Amino acid sequence: MGFKEALNSLLGTTTLPGASLEKLFSISAASITMQAELDLKPSSSAGVCFKPIESQQYEAARKDIEELLTYSNKETGSTFRLETDEFRFIWVILKDPDFDDLVAGVHLVSQTFIEKGFGAYLLCAIFRFGNGQPVYWVYNFKQGLYYPFIPAPGKTRDSATEFRIRSLLERELPIEKDVGLWYPLWGIPL
Amino acid sequence: MIRWPRDWGLQVRMIGTLFLLVLVYFIFIAVLVYIGINTLLLVVIVMVFLLLQYFFSDRMVLFSMGARVVSEQEEPRLYETLTRLCAIAGITRPRIAIVDKDIPNAFATGRNAKNSVIAVTTGLLSMLNQEELEAVLAHELSHVKNRDVMVLTLASLISTAAFFIFRSSLMAPQSGGRNGKQNLWFIIPVFAAVVWIISFLLIKALSRYREFSADRGSAIITGRPSQLVSALMKISGMMASVPTRDLREVEGMNAFFIIPAISGSSILTLFATHPSVEQRIAALERIGREMVEHGV
Repeated sequence: MGFKEALNSLLGTTTLPGASLEKLFSISAASITMQAELDLKPSSSAGVCFKPIESQQYEAARKDIEELLTYSNKETGSTFRLETDEFRFIWVILKDPDFDDLVAGVHLVSQTFIEKGFGAYLLCAIFRFGNGQPVYWVYNFKQGLYYPFIPAPGKTRDSATEFRIRSLLERELPIEKDVGLWYPLWGIPL
Repeated sequence: MIRWPRDWGLQVRMIGTLFLLVLVYFIFIAVLVYIGINTLLLVVIVMVFLLLQYFFSDRMVLFSMGARVVSEQEEPRLYETLTRLCAIAGITRPRIAIVDKDIPNAFATGRNAKNSVIAVTTGLLSMLNQEELEAVLAHELSHVKNRDVMVLTLASLISTAAFFIFRSSLMAPQSGGRNGKQNLWFIIPVFAAVVWIISFLLIKALSRYREFSADRGSAIITGRPSQLVSALMKISGMMASVPTRDLREVEGMNAFFIIPAISGSSILTLFATHPSVEQRIAALERIGREMVEHGV
């Protein structure tokens, strides 16, 4: 615990960590390895999940993002939609057959959010792989790291495969080392 | 980054209270040393007491409240709600316990995030909607993040010591006094009682400020102060009209506070630490207005 953190605790001040986009793009290279070694193809959909907050600026930011996406999609040919999940978080779901465009789209959405000042409320970005049983790579904005999530029937997860994928991609993808932070997200809408 | 305006008034009051507590602490020790009380023994007793409380209070509290720690498989939705808040706040996720009681309430216990447990009653779960539940969990999470159990345990150290001295000085014969200041021994019970009362009041003030801070933390983590307002109104409305059976249950919960200054530090219930609901709602609404005015 750093000094600033300790002081904040003592004084009861709450500050939220910001979002880091630095390592988001590393999924592009990793997708090639996943395809070659595991025969796992990207499924052409990805999502950014964020928490809507109570502020007029937030409404304005959301409109801006929608406009921006409509505009940029004309160039790349990808599509997007917004969805609210059961926890009242909002997902921007992007679809594009070209994986690099998809990653660029996720980056654009997150970047815009951060620029508007709402980076602290970005929960995660998710890339889906595989056509049958989905394999998700979750990007945690606060840590700036990825972790795998493979849901299995009955709200359990396929940890064995998650660990196998980790050992395979460890070198090219910045993966969260603390397995305790590999939080599951049930009912991912993509 | 979104900038949440600080509540300087609250910060100043918090610092002031902490400062006064430290001051009382030093005066207390200085006077005891001057009189010649065996402070070493006292320190050992208090330290043992403190360590026991520090390491076992979470289990004691959970046991006495009838709280059962649940696994992620049992309560996936509750855990995911908490997980998302933890991810946004950048906090290690505490465990969740459930108390099988109709009274809507929640509390946090444990010395750090890893060992912490956030407990909610079944009454709370059935009464609140998703947003309100989220706000209450964020409030408890702020207690965990602010280390309120540790802060209040340390703060109640003097109070506890003064209480012990007061009691033993009434019973013990007036002998000893290594420095030949026997004539001062008669003031010990009075002095200890005064220290106990002052520190008790300071701790009460401190815990109120910690409540306001946790409310504020909830507003910042959820980004929606109105969610907690709504939850507080629902719960307090319910509290006012609970049937007698449940009222007795509430009294049973309060009976756990044997020595208020001590018990109060290891259990941070949503309502036991006293700023009025009206005051808390007013503070939350102020945060809401600040958000709209200052925005980002």
